[in-house]
Amino acid sequence: MTDSPECAAGGIAVTRRVVLGAGASAVAGPALLKGHHVHAQPVPTPSGIENPLLLSFTVNGSSLELDIDARASLLDVLRERLGLTGTKKGCDHGQCGACTVHIDGRTRLSCLTLAAKMNGRQLTTIEGLSDGDTLHPMQTAFVDHDALQCGYCTPGQIMSAVACVRQGYASSPESIRDFMSGNICRCGAYVGIVAAVAAANSSEG
Amino acid sequence: MSRQPFPDLARIDAFDKVQGKTKYSSDVPFPDLLHAMTVPATIGKGMVTSIDVEHALAVPGVVRVLTPHDTPPPPPGPQGSPPPPPMLVHAIAYRGQPVALVVAETLEAAIEGAEAVRVSYALEPFAVRFEDADAGREDTESPTFGDADAAFATATTRIEAIYTTTANHHNPMELLSTTAVWAGGRLTIYEGTQGSNGLKNTVAQLLQIDRSMVDVISPQIGGGFGQRGEVPRHTAVVAQAARLLRRPVKLVMPRNQIFHNSRFRPHVQHAIKLGADANGKMISAHYDCLQQNSRRGRYRSDWYHAGPCKVYGIENYRGTSGDLRLDTHGPAQMRAPYEHPSAFAFESAVDELAFALGRDPVEFRLAHDTKIDASTGKRLTSRHLNECLTRGAEQFGWTGRPVQPGTLKAADGTMAGWGVGAGVYQAAMHPAIATLRVSANGVTRYASAGHEMGQGMRTAIAQVLIAGLRIDPARLTILIGDTTVAPQHSTAGSWGTASSVPVAVAAAEKMTAALAELLDGRKVAGNMHEQLARLRRPFIEIEVSMVAPGQGPEHLERLKTGGMAIAGLHGTYPDFTALSYIAHFVEVHVEPHTRRIRVPRVVSVADCGRVISPRTARSQVQGGVVWALGAALREISETDPRYGGWLNADIAEYHVSVNADIGKIDVSFIDEPDFDANSAGVKGIGEIAMVGAAAALANGVFHATGRRLRTLPIRVEHLI
Repeated sequence: MTDSPECAAGGIAVTRRVVLGAGASAVAGPALLKGHHVHAQPVPTPSGIENPLLLSFTVNGSSLELDIDARASLLDVLRERLGLTGTKKGCDHGQCGACTVHIDGRTRLSCLTLAAKMNGRQLTTIEGLSDGDTLHPMQTAFVDHDALQCGYCTPGQIMSAVACVRQGYASSPESIRDFMSGNICRCGAYVGIVAAVAAANSSEG
Repeated sequence: MSRQPFPDLARIDAFDKVQGKTKYSSDVPFPDLLHAMTVPATIGKGMVTSIDVEHALAVPGVVRVLTPHDTPPPPPGPQGSPPPPPMLVHAIAYRGQPVALVVAETLEAAIEGAEAVRVSYALEPFAVRFEDADAGREDTESPTFGDADAAFATATTRIEAIYTTTANHHNPMELLSTTAVWAGGRLTIYEGTQGSNGLKNTVAQLLQIDRSMVDVISPQIGGGFGQRGEVPRHTAVVAQAARLLRRPVKLVMPRNQIFHNSRFRPHVQHAIKLGADANGKMISAHYDCLQQNSRRGRYRSDWYHAGPCKVYGIENYRGTSGDLRLDTHGPAQMRAPYEHPSAFAFESAVDELAFALGRDPVEFRLAHDTKIDASTGKRLTSRHLNECLTRGAEQFGWTGRPVQPGTLKAADGTMAGWGVGAGVYQAAMHPAIATLRVSANGVTRYASAGHEMGQGMRTAIAQVLIAGLRIDPARLTILIGDTTVAPQHSTAGSWGTASSVPVAVAAAEKMTAALAELLDGRKVAGNMHEQLARLRRPFIEIEVSMVAPGQGPEHLERLKTGGMAIAGLHGTYPDFTALSYIAHFVEVHVEPHTRRIRVPRVVSVADCGRVISPRTARSQVQGGVVWALGAALREISETDPRYGGWLNADIAEYHVSVNADIGKIDVSFIDEPDFDANSAGVKGIGEIAMVGAAAALANGVFHATGRRLRTLPIRVEHLI
């Protein structure tokens, strides 16, 4: 198991205290794309945060610090505090895979991860996978094989698919199907997903 | 329009979707946003006697708890119109019904606040299981023609059987969510809905404000499947919270609560008798369907007949149907709502009859080709079902299939079976008004009715605009699902492409004519943008409107006021019947010891009229097959007789198909236009994709094992 190249290739780590509120979402979102520095405007932490914890972690290559609610899941912090809405909530119970992210290079369900446990960790979300307008090969393969319909499960599918190839489970359709079965696609794009993972695996050699 | 096949264009919103950039309703950020959480009823039926909000209000961050006192009942609507869904009320009709709404500064506080609300109830007896129904059957008049009794008496081969399809939930991956924003006296609702027009009207009615003050924005939906066709109860409650608190409020409903509050596919019992004459022709059909409904539910029981009474030209048909009323939320449309259950039953029965006659099930269906809709006597516009069956059989390798079950063995020794199933679905259409602006700066903006839920409507519209206009495709914006840009109509019933593409074709033609008039015979180089720039015209904007066959200006008016304006319900038009057709071929493997059922391959051939977007159409059919396999092998919503509501109310216990459940699905299209149905020759694909595939699987299980299983889902325990 190697570290995620996405994380390793991140921008220069500039640690700064960033206090982000819900209102900063529109600002923070683009800033947390891979390789960008954070230029979030300081806005008040929302009232009603109980037992605030100072969290310090790296998101798509940018170092962040913010006060979080001790009860918050990583998924809710990403979506409601950092404006990183590419990671989706499909069940909030670890049943569907829509919230899959990479933590220290491993796939993890962000809905089952307490944000408080993220101190010092490296996080990659779907927003950190592409390099500007240059898509990750897995993203290109998903477009080419129409491995999606509504697109809601797609970020989680792609995060798992990247791990499937990286961990060597993309050698046969059966192996891809097994590995990818933690990510539910209710539209039923499975045929395209298997084709996309196989194609990305071939193109990466 | 050219008859050339359309190119295999990539889905136009795929580039954003693979990057997580697509904004679904709960992704849109707002400053000062408040978070809401519903408090669900914990009883099966009864009355709320008190709601103690004190502990909830003591939770830091909670700003308000809405109870029934905060959501007054609306005045009655126009006579004959259905009542809007109530907001918060004391009368509990089903477990999980929202009792209160907690609003807080953070999501965490809203969740804790909702758990701190204490509700007291007066319980009433309830019934939620089909077999526990406490009142008699309510009959509904159903299609009946010829003399089915007399014909059945003369039939030389007969079959008679009862089939059961169980309750299912849609479970799109996106959770139900509503964000309500009041600004400048206007209410804007961000919600993934298939009917932004209906949602606008209903919320306005419930909040007692003029509909012109409400906007609904639903540009991308994380899966619809019919769940987003009805206005949920919580939507107006969230809007009321935003009105009272003067701040934007967002609710994302937990999936467990969605099971109770969303509509669902009801449990249905199908009793079928078929009779064939000495020549092996089906001459008589009796079909009775008895479905579960809610106490006041309006989901019709007679529409299960829509397919069976038309598909094979059976001249003597007796349809009956009825409801059993239970204490759940009301059932409503779920993908191929009537056609999937009825096709499972009817196509299984047809298979049983073919077997009784010693006939090959494909050849038997081919022998029942017809040009006439036997239920109305009208002409069938383009029935290519036989081509679907013939081509599918060839692609599947059906030739040489032994008639006797239990004779095929797979390479690894498992029992194998080949099953076929067919389906029909209405080719319907609604009116549309579209505006198209091509600008000298390179931008093209198109706005019309429709909702994108993954079926690929934007890609289909883009196909015809790119084919019909010399524009920059990269700077084409297609605005749909937004009541501020064009009159919206609900998107369901496979009428999406048939309603959105013809008007887009007409818009492209009118734009081309407008530019030609401007050019007035002058030769000006470049694409449309460059020509406009050279002519020093900033833009040309045109508007076009279109109605379905048999419709007039009154239907356009109905569209403008947000009403339903469908033509072609059940395929019926004034002068003809227009239907989509499909044939599915399924290979089933049953492990001899565990009896586990696997489906290594499916071949599906569809006649959906003209194929506008080959890539998204293929994905739609693959998805429909995945749905059918899930319904056939796994999906069942179990009710809880002890506490009411749904027992397996999450997707760990309600099993939809996962990747490892799905093998090869080969899809092809007849791709013949139906110009009776509309000028683009489109019939519709999203629903027909699923119809008949569950029967093909069950017929394959019979062929593999000799066991005829008549209840869905088919599971290991049914084969032991």
